[in-house]
Amino acid sequence: MAEETLLTDDFLRQLINVGEVDIVVGLPTHNNAKTIDPVIRAIQAGILKCFPRERVVIINADGGSQDGTPERVTGASIDDVWNVSKVYALRTLHSISTRYARTPEPGTALRTILAAADLLRAKACVLVSPDSTTIEPDWLQRLARPVYNDNFDMVSPSYHRQTSEGVLMRNLLYPMTRAIYGHRIREPYASEFAVSGRLATDFLAKETWNEDWGRVGAEICLTITAITGNYRTSQCFLGAKTHPDRSGSDLVATIRRTVGALFASLDSNFPLWSTITDSQPVPTLGTQSEVTLEPVRVNRKRLREMFATGVAELEPIFRSILSESTLSELKRIAGLDVSDFNYPADVWAKTVFEFAASYHKSVISRDHIVQALVPLYRGRALTFLLENREGSEEDVDRSVESLCGEFERLKPYLLEVWADRK
Amino acid sequence: MPLKREAGWYKDAIIYQVHVRTFFDSNGDGIGDFHGLAQRLDYVQEIGVSAIWLMPFFPSPLRDDGYDISDYKSVHPCYGTLEDFKTFLSNAHDRGIRVIIEMVANHTSDQHPWFLESRSSQDNPKRDWYVWADTDTKYRGTRIIFIDTEMSNWAWDPISKSYYWHRFFSHQPDLNYDNPAVREEMWNVMKFWLELGVDGFRLDAVPYLIERDGTSCENLPETHEVIRELRKKVDDHFPGAMLLAEANQWPADLRPYFGNGDEFHMAFHFPLMPRMFMGLRLEDRKPITEIMQQMPEIPASCQWCLFLRNHDELTLEMVTDMERDYMYDIYARDKTMRLNLGIRRRLAPLLDNDRRRIELMNGMLMSLPGTPIIYYGDEIGMGDNIYLGDRNGVRTPMQWSGGWNGGFSIADPERLYSPPILNPVYGYQAVNVLSQKRTEHSLLSWMKHLIQIRRSSPVFGSGSIEFLHPANHRILVYVRQLGKETFLIVNNLSSAAQAVELDLRRFKGNILIEMFGKNIFPRVGDLPYLLTMGPYQFYWFRLRRI
Repeated sequence: MAEETLLTDDFLRQLINVGEVDIVVGLPTHNNAKTIDPVIRAIQAGILKCFPRERVVIINADGGSQDGTPERVTGASIDDVWNVSKVYALRTLHSISTRYARTPEPGTALRTILAAADLLRAKACVLVSPDSTTIEPDWLQRLARPVYNDNFDMVSPSYHRQTSEGVLMRNLLYPMTRAIYGHRIREPYASEFAVSGRLATDFLAKETWNEDWGRVGAEICLTITAITGNYRTSQCFLGAKTHPDRSGSDLVATIRRTVGALFASLDSNFPLWSTITDSQPVPTLGTQSEVTLEPVRVNRKRLREMFATGVAELEPIFRSILSESTLSELKRIAGLDVSDFNYPADVWAKTVFEFAASYHKSVISRDHIVQALVPLYRGRALTFLLENREGSEEDVDRSVESLCGEFERLKPYLLEVWADRK
Repeated sequence: MPLKREAGWYKDAIIYQVHVRTFFDSNGDGIGDFHGLAQRLDYVQEIGVSAIWLMPFFPSPLRDDGYDISDYKSVHPCYGTLEDFKTFLSNAHDRGIRVIIEMVANHTSDQHPWFLESRSSQDNPKRDWYVWADTDTKYRGTRIIFIDTEMSNWAWDPISKSYYWHRFFSHQPDLNYDNPAVREEMWNVMKFWLELGVDGFRLDAVPYLIERDGTSCENLPETHEVIRELRKKVDDHFPGAMLLAEANQWPADLRPYFGNGDEFHMAFHFPLMPRMFMGLRLEDRKPITEIMQQMPEIPASCQWCLFLRNHDELTLEMVTDMERDYMYDIYARDKTMRLNLGIRRRLAPLLDNDRRRIELMNGMLMSLPGTPIIYYGDEIGMGDNIYLGDRNGVRTPMQWSGGWNGGFSIADPERLYSPPILNPVYGYQAVNVLSQKRTEHSLLSWMKHLIQIRRSSPVFGSGSIEFLHPANHRILVYVRQLGKETFLIVNNLSSAAQAVELDLRRFKGNILIEMFGKNIFPRVGDLPYLLTMGPYQFYWFRLRRI
């Protein structure tokens, strides 16, 4: 039993005190003191407003914060929420915290929360990002209600995003997941989502936890498990999603965590995805409202340079990953001036598929393959941002839809390179 | 011989609430009577209670089960005579059982001679014994209590062609307590019964005595003035007699009925009762501890009256809308079970006849601070009949045996004042005193044991309470203390077994003695005291330093 060694004695004692619950709200943290307070308040208000009768616990899995984040979670007083919202809870609301590691590891945080949900026999487990400063109390209901009341196994979010947000999601993770697995889940790698107790329990028992990519990319593996298993999936509109300062975020680590896990999932799921020829919409709950997009500010020169440098420096590696035609196309794009820069959708889709096939065959170290995708992704991101810099949200959606169409159209190509390449 | 009315006797009392009509029919007319009640005093004594609270037994048209009185100084002929009452009172006192009677002070029946006079003409001397008006627009801010039957607090009187004020049914006109003659006459009524030897009164509907425009007409300062005046007279002339308030109010409005120890001796703890049921089904101590923390201190001479069920609906007036919705959904899914803002059900059916839950609730009733009241029949787990209308479903004949009419009466069953409970689960053939007396592990036997333990120490009645807050919210824990005696009460509100760690370091060195089995539990040390508890289990521990 994985959870036997995963949960500390102290955490187990806290879980005993909490007892069986209906809903677990999981909050993975690491040094989030700057943003955690409004998030906690929104969660508490959401519980009071939407689930006053249900047994709910907030579980913080912390990766070794030095800024007092766990204390802020467990110390947040429900009285403050009562005073503001005038909503009253029938039950005790527990907020408990555990430090799962000295260093942060999102997969372990997720595993800890799911293990707790499993032990507490929760019907629904909602994950909330500690830096979702735009969170509203209603998010909790939108995520949890379909699982808790309508027997869905997974609810993923659909956000209003600024054009410069969620670029990896819109240019790679969503189109690829959709083309491969046939489900139009907008956020296959989400920081907010809800799963059923059944899915949580089944996912905990997966062998993927024994693989590095499975641990590192647990969130996307969970989505893929939901899609490929006999689980009911849906998505819900949440609202605006912005992240605080992302300047320090590590793109390489993010791509390893997401794209690496996505590529790795293809091996075991080949019999399933190889027969899927189109995609189907996923039930989407709630109503979407308009958001005004801010003009995109992008350092085009820098992105173009990073792309061009990557293509030049990694050419020997690309030779073992990419087809000649794709590589030559990339070299042509790398030579374009920034004003004419364009990494077309079909070339990008082919690039990604060739990377996936190479990953499958381990033509070189799998980790190196994933890392080698980073500069190319920057080139695609530049094209996406330039194409949509003055577009409305609808325009951006159309652009993403068009890209998804290319991924789906070229899926036979993936099957071809998957089989042919030795 | 009247019992000596010792000051504060009510603080350690255990009260048995009974309606003469429902208890035992001695003359075979299908209606319980004082003779019958007197014959069954041995049973009441056996249970172990120390007082009886009698519901109204006065002459009345019985349109509200006697709460519509037409003569305050007599006994309804169906129940016997005044002499019968005196005999009953004397027999009760001989057994050490005190008697509390009803004082329906707020209103009379519309058949009371006072009202008949008052309505006879607008210049009748008793005209202002009631609250009259030419229009029905006064006191607009006043809520309607019987929302299922009444549209207004005013009723048109075609005789005197004006409106009269009534907070309850329209056939129950409110007395006018602004009139000194009314106050004096009601004191005369009380004096009459106190002189006969009764030990106290339950004053019905006290918040509504006085009306003032622009107010809710509840809990007005003038009402408290009336009560203080009555209390002073009681203390001056009948020291030791007890006044119990029926004031179904929020904590802040309830506390003033104790005044500075110069109003009521006792008051029903209306806010606590529904929250005990709520806490049980939520499996969470929060509703109970929260309301207890909101309750202000009361004067040392005063006492709360605790109850689980009584002759009325389980009132949900003193809960929030959300709490009321929850209670309805959990305890009264069938809308027939609902009445006004409450639930007309007895204890056992409310708790799905789950013996463990019934025991836990009674355990809390007996161990929380206050004087407990047991509603007749709940000690054997009697059921109800929600199809009888109004609150009659919880006022069915006492079930004495599995025989004819449940041993209540020898009359033809059709003649009984109310059909007895007949269904296979709660009917008298399944649930009755006789069979439970013969079984050591029956609910009745268990209740007797519980009451015996409760009466073994004044800590329960008069001790302080302090709640402990173990991390496991399903466990309700409190420490009761009086002098050198300390009791630790631990209740598992959950339907599943629970582990709980208690911080008892300040009691380090004490051993715990479980009060039901007298078994010794491990000595308290520095470490958290671990208890494992079965579903709905509770422990009463006496702490001893040996």
